[in-house]
Amino acid sequence: MDAAHIRNFSIIAHIDHGKTTLSDRLLQRTGTVADRDMQEQHLDAMDLEKERGITIKAHPVTMYYTAKNGEKYELNLIDTPGHVDFAYEVSRSLSACEGALLIVDAAQGVEAQTVANLHLAMKQNLEIIPVINKIDLPHADIPQAKQQLEDILAIPAEHAVLASAKEGIGIEEILETIVERIPPPKPTGEKSLQALIFDSYFDTYKGVVILVRVFNGELRAGMMVKMPHSGKTVEIKEVGSFNPKPYTRPKLEVGETGYMTANIKSPREVKVGDTVLDSKNPASVLPGFKEIHPMVFSGIYPINTGDYEQLKVSIAKLQLNDSALTFQIESSAALGFGYRCGFLGLLHMEIVQERLRREFNLDIIATYPSVVYRVQMTDGTMKEVDNPAFLPEASYIEEIQEPIVKAFVICPGTNIGDMMALISEKRGIIQTTETLDTRRVMLTCKIPMNEILIDFHDRIKSITRGYGSMDYEPIGYEASDMAKLDMMVNGEVMDAFSSLVHRSKAENRGRLLASKLKEVIPRQQFQIAIQASVGGKFVARETISAMRKDVTAKCYGGDISRKRKLLEKQKEGKKRMKAIGSVDIPQEAFIEVLKTN
Amino acid sequence: MSEPVRSLYVHVPFCAHKCEYCAFYSAPASGDQINRYVAALVREFELIAGGCRPDTLFFGGGTPSLLTLRQWETVLEAMRRCGLTGAAEWTVECNPATVSADKARLLRDAGVNRISMGVQSLDETLLDRLGRVHSRDMVFRSYDILRGAGFTNVNIDLMFAIPGQTLDIWRQTLHEALALGTHHLSCYEVIYEEDTPLFHQLQKGEIDVDEDLACAMYDELLDATAAAGFRQYEIANFARSMPSDPGGSQPTVSEWPDYACRHNINYWRGGDSHGLGPSASEYVGGVRSRNWSNTTLYCEQLEKGRRAKEFAEALEPLARAGELAAFGLRTTPGWPFDLFKQRSGFDLRTGWHDDIHRLIERGWGVQTDERLYLTRTGLRFADAAAEMFLRP
Repeated sequence: MDAAHIRNFSIIAHIDHGKTTLSDRLLQRTGTVADRDMQEQHLDAMDLEKERGITIKAHPVTMYYTAKNGEKYELNLIDTPGHVDFAYEVSRSLSACEGALLIVDAAQGVEAQTVANLHLAMKQNLEIIPVINKIDLPHADIPQAKQQLEDILAIPAEHAVLASAKEGIGIEEILETIVERIPPPKPTGEKSLQALIFDSYFDTYKGVVILVRVFNGELRAGMMVKMPHSGKTVEIKEVGSFNPKPYTRPKLEVGETGYMTANIKSPREVKVGDTVLDSKNPASVLPGFKEIHPMVFSGIYPINTGDYEQLKVSIAKLQLNDSALTFQIESSAALGFGYRCGFLGLLHMEIVQERLRREFNLDIIATYPSVVYRVQMTDGTMKEVDNPAFLPEASYIEEIQEPIVKAFVICPGTNIGDMMALISEKRGIIQTTETLDTRRVMLTCKIPMNEILIDFHDRIKSITRGYGSMDYEPIGYEASDMAKLDMMVNGEVMDAFSSLVHRSKAENRGRLLASKLKEVIPRQQFQIAIQASVGGKFVARETISAMRKDVTAKCYGGDISRKRKLLEKQKEGKKRMKAIGSVDIPQEAFIEVLKTN
Repeated sequence: MSEPVRSLYVHVPFCAHKCEYCAFYSAPASGDQINRYVAALVREFELIAGGCRPDTLFFGGGTPSLLTLRQWETVLEAMRRCGLTGAAEWTVECNPATVSADKARLLRDAGVNRISMGVQSLDETLLDRLGRVHSRDMVFRSYDILRGAGFTNVNIDLMFAIPGQTLDIWRQTLHEALALGTHHLSCYEVIYEEDTPLFHQLQKGEIDVDEDLACAMYDELLDATAAAGFRQYEIANFARSMPSDPGGSQPTVSEWPDYACRHNINYWRGGDSHGLGPSASEYVGGVRSRNWSNTTLYCEQLEKGRRAKEFAEALEPLARAGELAAFGLRTTPGWPFDLFKQRSGFDLRTGWHDDIHRLIERGWGVQTDERLYLTRTGLRFADAAAEMFLRP
């Protein structure tokens, strides 16, 4: 297809605002998917995606549409993750597009996530087409949605398309607007092929499938291409597009989006953001993406130490299709061997853990998540610390800096008091408060990322009885009075519970953990002291009294065998316990406490 | 032909009513079922008769005293025929509600010389709480009947740390029981066995466990029994010795009190023993086995002329030695090193050197030239000690 008849676009929306339904309608209306093959949520391939109503991977799909002007267009929809955790993936996908549909729920209005995602699209200079969806709902308020588009997002609302994806209203108009308003791709004018790699996934039969957007030249099977970043030169075996299933095409031309395969066995050999070039006559490299940095770290350990190898294989498998996930071996006195994993954000962390449990049937436990701290050392160097256990000695630390995010919280006006209290409890500073409409306000605040790791989102949901929403974007680092909180049993540190906390909160958290540990550590034949220490100073103490007896009163001929087995089992169990100092602590105790975090 | 087995246990799996704490196999039964059981038991006597000449015999349950006179006659007759009578110590467990003068005399005449009474408590409220069918008065009446029938060696079973039992109530029961003048006392702290009503009440939080109170009751038990001339010879067992001859030479302290239950000592010291009846365990020739815990199944097997084994295991020598060590330490005399070597083939001093050291370090154990035994504190941690001494 000639570039003038190609449109590349993506859809950005808040969860539940109808992105997937709209995508499905577009597939249907363009005849890409026959009505009888239509199943709900065509593009979300993973169960988890369907279940949680989110998209994790980018899914490009090619549609053909004959517009009212009688001409046939190739529309490439590059579906993107809707959550800002996957901002990196979003920006990758957006870089393959010239435009984006911005969906706003006519009943719910603009949400926090819409704001965060729109910022990303704006940064890419995309043509934004606002779509007000769900106009069929009885409580749809179109004028208000329009007002919000203009007030909050600063997007002219006069051309907003009114639609109901569910009812099939406005689909035609959306397609026409895409053709009309989104600019066609422009060749870069270079001498030969330039194709941007924006994602990849692993296929058991074809090897690595590379998703590309051709910016210049063309891509066809049999070509020898090179990928400068990995230094690999390969022969292309197959090119094609998705409808949404992959199908081969003779070639991909300027402006087109699709896939290529080249018998590449390891996803590591493909770098997302790299440019595919003609090996004999290479053009220049396209600007790629910035290196991806995990924001949140947590140790993942198998509950059965025997599953360690299986865990490794499973994480590696996940990583094949999730280049943002990082992992390296970590060991803990309490939990044995596991992996320190890096995630883009909380949702990403949750999804990875969930997939390990569900798709790989693993019993895992995750340690208290940590953000990446920057530690300014007294010798002038800077260290990044993502595991509090490795925080350098206090005397070598000049200062500790913590990552700060800008958070957008949208909530009903009636909850504003509670919300402000929550933000302040979380050490956040409210920067602006905007009234969105008669019932909702948006609070924009600066807040330490560490504070939103655990229960911030849940608390917002509970304060607003489900009506509130939150999203965030990282805005840098700030010096902060962080302290290392250690939990000890009989004087020995339990590394799995070490964390960096703001000094103002260290004592409370220490108390909480100490009392929780007291509940779960079984009594032993001697007294056990559980202490919380902040920077070497004890802030909390609990005592587990010594057992006064451990004896079964009745034991005769018939009981011996049963009793022996019971004791043997206990003895075996103690071998699996982690001896910290002289205290035997069952792994379940660690798990119990980590769970309650 | 190897040496005959010198110990025999018979399980009678019937109760008038199942107690709240009991995890033993028993069920309420009809007369027909008991008759069928008696016939099966007779068959089982016949099967083991060739290899068993019991020195100690123990009828436990369930409630052995629930068998009728006729049923007892059948059992005793078969035993005589099989050469299983004449044990030096022959115990029958009795529930105070089921003792009659006729039955007592029948048993006495057959050679039974020791009665174990499941009294549990002398407090009416607690007896109700435990689901016992007898009353406080029945205990005293039964005891008189037994004495009248000529039984001098009577054991009384008591329980402490019963939910609702105060230290005063316990003290009262203990002293009343001692005042009966029996020679043997077994006192058990309540065990919350899985699948008992008591256990479920605990799980549901309807019962509070007060460890300090239980410990105080145990201390009271040790003091009161000692004052009454009893010697503790196992965690839960206390017995008197016969008065020494005033004109005789300096009395030597024997390993066990005279009225200690030899049958149970044989268990703790790992001797061979046959076990007959549903759910009964036995240890014969290095093999431990157990009968089906289902009376119908048990009867069916024996009606086909074979024993009704549900399970059998033969432990490796070291595992067996570990088990011997672990359970022998429950007794106050502990293990004489020579005897242990003789029974297990292993030297306790070398094979369990580190464990012995840990026992001593914790103040739980004492090692002399001759033996290893647990201290008063050690006996309170006998399970922890047993766990140490077990070998995989």
